[in-house]
Amino acid sequence: MAQASKATTSRALFEILGAYKHFGGAIALNHADFTLRAGEIHALLGENGAGKSTLLKVLAGVHTLDGGTITLDGKPFIQGSPRMAMSQGVTVIYQEPSLFPDLTLAENVFIGRQLRNKTGINWSEMRAQAKALFDELGVDLDPSRIARGLSIADQQVVEIAKALSLDAQIILMDEPTAALTKSEVNRLMLVMRRLQEKGKSVVFVSHRLDEVFAVCDQITVMRDGSTVAQSKVSDSTINDVIKWMVGRELKDLYPKMESKIGDVALEVNGLSSASEFANISLKVRHGEIVALAGLVGSGRSEVARAIFGIDSYDSGSVKLNGKILPGGKPGISVASGLALVPEDRRQQGLFMQASVSRNIATEMLDKLAKFGLVSQRSENSLTQEWGKKLQIKYPNPKAPVDQLSGGNQQKTVLAKWFATNPDVLIVDEPTRGIDVQTKAEFHRQLSQAAASGKAILMISSELPEVLGMADRIYVMHEGRLVKELSRKDATQELIMTAATGQGRGES
Amino acid sequence: MIQKIAAFQTTNFKINAKTLLRRRESGILMVLVLVSVATTLINPRFISGYGLSDLLLNTSMVGCLAVGLTPVVIARHIDLSIASATGFSAFLTAHIIVGHGWGVVPAFFVGACVGAIIGAVNGVLVAGLRLPSLVVTLGALYIIRGIDYQFANNKQFTAEKLPTDLMHLSQDKIYGVPYLFCLVLLLALFGVWWMRFTRFGRDLYAIGSNPPAADIVGIKVFSRTFFAFVWCGTLAGIAGVMYLSIYAIVDSAAFLNQELIVVTAVVIGGVNIFGGLGTIVGALLGAVLLRVLIGALVALGVAQFWQQAINGLLLLIAIGIDRILSRRSETKIERIRDERKMEIS
Amino acid sequence: MKNIFTKIIQPQRRFRPFTWDVIIMILLVILLVFGSILNPVFLTAFNFSLMLPNIGEILLIAMPMTLLIIAGEIDLSVASIVGLSGVTFGLLYERGLNIWLAAFLGVIVGVLCGAVNGILVARVGLGSLAVTIATLALFRGFATAAMGNKSVTDFPESWTNFGYSTIGKTFLPQTYPLIIFFIILFGILTHLSIFGRRTFAIGQSVEAARFAAISVLNHKIILFILTGAMSGVAGVIYVLRISTAQYDNAMGLELSVIATALLGGVSIFGGVGTIWGVAAAAVLFGSLEALFNLQAVSPNIFTITTGTLLIGSVMIPLLLGRINRFRIDRIRENEKNAK
Repeated sequence: MAQASKATTSRALFEILGAYKHFGGAIALNHADFTLRAGEIHALLGENGAGKSTLLKVLAGVHTLDGGTITLDGKPFIQGSPRMAMSQGVTVIYQEPSLFPDLTLAENVFIGRQLRNKTGINWSEMRAQAKALFDELGVDLDPSRIARGLSIADQQVVEIAKALSLDAQIILMDEPTAALTKSEVNRLMLVMRRLQEKGKSVVFVSHRLDEVFAVCDQITVMRDGSTVAQSKVSDSTINDVIKWMVGRELKDLYPKMESKIGDVALEVNGLSSASEFANISLKVRHGEIVALAGLVGSGRSEVARAIFGIDSYDSGSVKLNGKILPGGKPGISVASGLALVPEDRRQQGLFMQASVSRNIATEMLDKLAKFGLVSQRSENSLTQEWGKKLQIKYPNPKAPVDQLSGGNQQKTVLAKWFATNPDVLIVDEPTRGIDVQTKAEFHRQLSQAAASGKAILMISSELPEVLGMADRIYVMHEGRLVKELSRKDATQELIMTAATGQGRGES
Repeated sequence: MIQKIAAFQTTNFKINAKTLLRRRESGILMVLVLVSVATTLINPRFISGYGLSDLLLNTSMVGCLAVGLTPVVIARHIDLSIASATGFSAFLTAHIIVGHGWGVVPAFFVGACVGAIIGAVNGVLVAGLRLPSLVVTLGALYIIRGIDYQFANNKQFTAEKLPTDLMHLSQDKIYGVPYLFCLVLLLALFGVWWMRFTRFGRDLYAIGSNPPAADIVGIKVFSRTFFAFVWCGTLAGIAGVMYLSIYAIVDSAAFLNQELIVVTAVVIGGVNIFGGLGTIVGALLGAVLLRVLIGALVALGVAQFWQQAINGLLLLIAIGIDRILSRRSETKIERIRDERKMEIS
Repeated sequence: MKNIFTKIIQPQRRFRPFTWDVIIMILLVILLVFGSILNPVFLTAFNFSLMLPNIGEILLIAMPMTLLIIAGEIDLSVASIVGLSGVTFGLLYERGLNIWLAAFLGVIVGVLCGAVNGILVARVGLGSLAVTIATLALFRGFATAAMGNKSVTDFPESWTNFGYSTIGKTFLPQTYPLIIFFIILFGILTHLSIFGRRTFAIGQSVEAARFAAISVLNHKIILFILTGAMSGVAGVIYVLRISTAQYDNAMGLELSVIATALLGGVSIFGGVGTIWGVAAAAVLFGSLEALFNLQAVSPNIFTITTGTLLIGSVMIPLLLGRINRFRIDRIRENEKNAK
C-alpha cells in the first residue's frame, strides 16, 4: 500500500491523450487515454479486442497512432520504430519471447552488444554480468547454459534481464502469464516487484485479475478502444473491474434462431492430456450451439485439437453420434462427420498460396473425384455453390486465397467444412479479426446450421458473442471445466468470474 | 531481503552449452582415438610416424574446406560450389604462376583471391538478394565447372612446370606435421577466434539459430552472411593451391564431385545442417575422422570398396545423434509440463 | 466495400507476372525456332534420336522429384539409387537369373532405397537434405562393394537395343514410349489426382495439411518410395543404354535432375511446380546441348548456361515479383492521394 501511494505521487512518464488508431474500417483505438507514472506497476485490462494490444504495440514502436499525442517524460515520444522505442527506454516482453536457442543465456542477454576486451569477446565478464542481472532479478539461472529447452517463464526472465542491461525505464509485459504455471507466475510477480524497487515502471497486461490485484498499483480498463476506467488498485474491487470490462451492450448482432434440440451428437468423457487439460466432459446435441468460454491459454483450443484428432490424448473418450472416435486420427473424424474451423486461419485453416477453389475443395476431393482424378471444373462449381451460399467475395475461383480479406478468408474455411456436411462443427474463435458486418453474417450462418440440425461447439473469447449465440456455455479455467451455464442463467459477470478463477472459492 | 528464487529447470537438468559442445567434440576425438588404437593393435604400421604425417597431409584439403564451409552452414546456408571453386582455383593459379614464374606466396595469394571472388558472387546472390543458397551455389557449381573446362581446354600442368618450392611444400614438415596442415591449423585458429571471440562471428550463430529474431534485434544479416561466403570461397581457393602442391598435377577435372565429402565432414564434426550449432574445431575433427577411417579400412584390409558406404553410415549416425540430443531436451520440456499438470489437478 | 475490394485485387491480376514454367516453355520454343534457323539439321529426326536418349533418365527421375520438392523435401541420393539398381540388375543377370526377373529386382532395390529415405525423414524425423547426402554415399557404397571395379556388359542384344535404338525408322528411341507413359502418368498424378492435390497442400503448409486431415508422414514416405522406384527404372534403362553395369553409373546425375526440376519452375521452398514445366526444362537442356554440339560450341558453354539458367530460375521470378509489388504499391499510393 505504501508503494502504491508513493507511485501516484511520482512524476508521469507516459502520457497518452486521445489516442486514435484504425485498421481499414476497424477502429482499434478510439480516443484512449493512459498515464504511466515512474516506479509503478500498471495493469492494462480489457476483453479481447478492447484495444490493449494495439496500445501496447504503439508504445513498443510497432504501430503509429492516427491521432492523439504521446509524451514520454515531458518530451514527445517518437513512434513507429521498435529500435527508437528501445532507445527511448521502452522494452516489451512478449508472451512467448524469441530467443536464440543455440546461444547461451549470457549471450542472449547481450546479443549484438557482446562485451569485449582487447582480444575479442569477454566471455567471463559477460557471464558474470548476466549472472549479476539474474541475481538482481532474484532468479537462479545459469548464464552459460543454452536457451534451447528453457521454459517460457525463464525465457521471459532472460528478456527482462536484457531490458535491464539496456537500461530500459519502462517494461511492457504483454500477457506474460498466459502460458505460465502458478509457481512461475508467483516468481514473475516477485521479479516485477524487484523491477519496481529499482525504479522501473511496468505495464502489465493480464486477464487474471487475482494476479493484477496481487501485484499492481494502478489499473486502466479499456473497452472498445476507449479508456473506461482509471483507478488505484487500492480503491477498487475485483467486481468493479469485471463490471468495467464487460460493460459492453449486447447489440442486435446475434440473429439467434429457434432450433429443435435433438439427441447428443458429440460426447466427450473425461478427456485428459498431460500438459494441457484434465478431465474434460461435455455434450453437444443436434441443433444446439454450445460455447466453450474461457481466457486465452485456458486450454480450450487444445481440447478442440484433441477432439478432432490433431493431437493425441492420454485418457478419456470422444463419441460422435454414439460411436467412439480413435484418438489422433483426423481423417476418421472427418469421415464420421466432424469438422474443425481452427483458431489461426492463416496457419491452420487455409493454404494461403493456393486458390479459393483448391481450399474449398480440400475436404471434398474424394467425393469430387472420378477414378481418383479431380477436375478443376468440379472444384470451381463447388466453389461457386458455396461462394454464393456464404456470400464469399473473391475475384475468381483461381485467385489465391491470400488476396481475400480476413472475413472472406474465414468464410472460405467455413465453406470448406460446410461442404462436407458435418454433423458436428467445432469453431475456434470464428470471428476474430473480422469486420462487424461479416461477423453478423457469420453468426447467421452458424445459427442456420444449428437450426438445420447440426451440433456446434463454439470456442470464443468474446462474451457478447458467447451470450448472443450459445444455448449452453461451458467455462474453462486452467485446463479444467469450472462452470456450466444455460442461456438464461448466463451473464457476462458470471462467465468472467468463472474464467478468471474467482468463482472457485464459492462453489 | 533479496532471497534467491529457483529457476524452473536449471535444477532439473543442466545443459551447459560449453559442456554440450565439448561433449560432441570430445566424442569425435574419442572415436578417433578408438579407431586409431584398434587399428594399430591389429596393424602396427597404421600409426607409425610416417603414417600420421601422411594422414595429416591427406586431411589438409578437406580440412581446409571444412573450416571454410562451417561458418556458412552455421548461418543456415550451404555452399555446393566449394569443390568446383577448389578445382578452378587450382587450375587458374597454376596458369597464372607458371606464366609469371611466381613462387609459393604469390600462389596462395592468387588462389585466395580467385576463391574470394567466387565467394563474393555467391554472397551477393544469397545475402543480398536473399535467394536460396542451395540453388544459387548449385548453379555456381555448374558455371565454375564450365568455365574451368573451357579455360583448361584439355591442358594440364605437371610437376615439371610448376614451381619446385610449391612441390616441396607438401613434403616439408615441422615435428612431423606437414606445412600444409600447419596452414590449415592457422586458418582454423583464426576461424575459432572469429567465430567465438568477435561479434561478427557470434552474429552468424544468431542468424542460423533464429533468422527472424536476428532481423528483429538489428543484426547486420547481409554483411555477416556475405563475409561467410567470401571466407568459404577464399579457403576453397587456398585448398586449390594445396591441391597443386599435393598432387603436383592439375587439369580441369581436379577435385571434381567432392562437394558432398566436405559437407559430410562438417556434419560429422557436429555442425548442425540447420544452422546455429557447431564449431570449426569440430568440423576439422570431422575431416580428420573421415580420413582416419579410410586409412583404418586400408590398414585392416577391408576392401576399399566399402569406404563410401561407411562414410554414408557415419553421416547417418551423426545426424541421428544430433536428433536424439535435441529430442532429449524436448522431453525435458515435457517433464516441465507434467509439473503444470500436477498443479492443475 | 466491394469497390475497395476490386481495386485492390485487380492490379495484382493485371500485373501477375509469367510463372517460371511458362517462361521456360517460351524459351524452349524460341530455342527450337532459333536453332532450326541456325542449323538445318537441328530440327531433324536424326538429331532428336541422338538427343533424346541422353535426357531419358533425367526425365524419369525428375518426375517424382518434382512431386517430392513440391512437398517440401528433396532427394540427393537418386543417382546412387540408379547406380545400385543397375548393379543389382547386372549382377543378378550375370549370376544367370532370368533377365526380366533381374530387371524387376533392380527396380525393387530402388523401391527399398526410397523406403529407407522416407522412413528416416518422416518417421525418424531427420532432415531430408542431410539424410539423402548420407544415403547418397551409402547406396553408392553398396553398389561399389557389390560390384568392385569390374563391370557387366554382356547383355542380350535385344535388350541393349531397347536402350539406344529407335523405333523403326522414326526418331523416337525405344525407351520413349515408356518414358512418355511415365510423364503422362506423373502429369495426371500431380495435377489431376487427389494425391497431387494433397502433395501441393503439404508443400504449402504442413500445419494446415494436418488440420485438413491429410496424413502428412505417410504421404511423404510414399513420395520417397516413388522417387526410389523411378530411380530404379532409370537404373535399369541406364545400364541398357550404355550396355554396362558398373558401380559408377550415373555418378553426379542427382544434380542434373534437381537442376532440371528447379529450372522447370519447381520452388525449392515447396508448394509450387508443374510437370510440364519440368519436362520442358529437360527437353530444353537436351536441345541446347544438341544445338551446341551441332554448332561445335564447346560443351563447357552448355554447362555454364545450365548454371546461369538455374540461378535465373530463382532470381527472375523474385525480381518480377518485386517489380510487381512496387507497381501495386504505387497504384495504392495514387489511390490514396486521389482520396
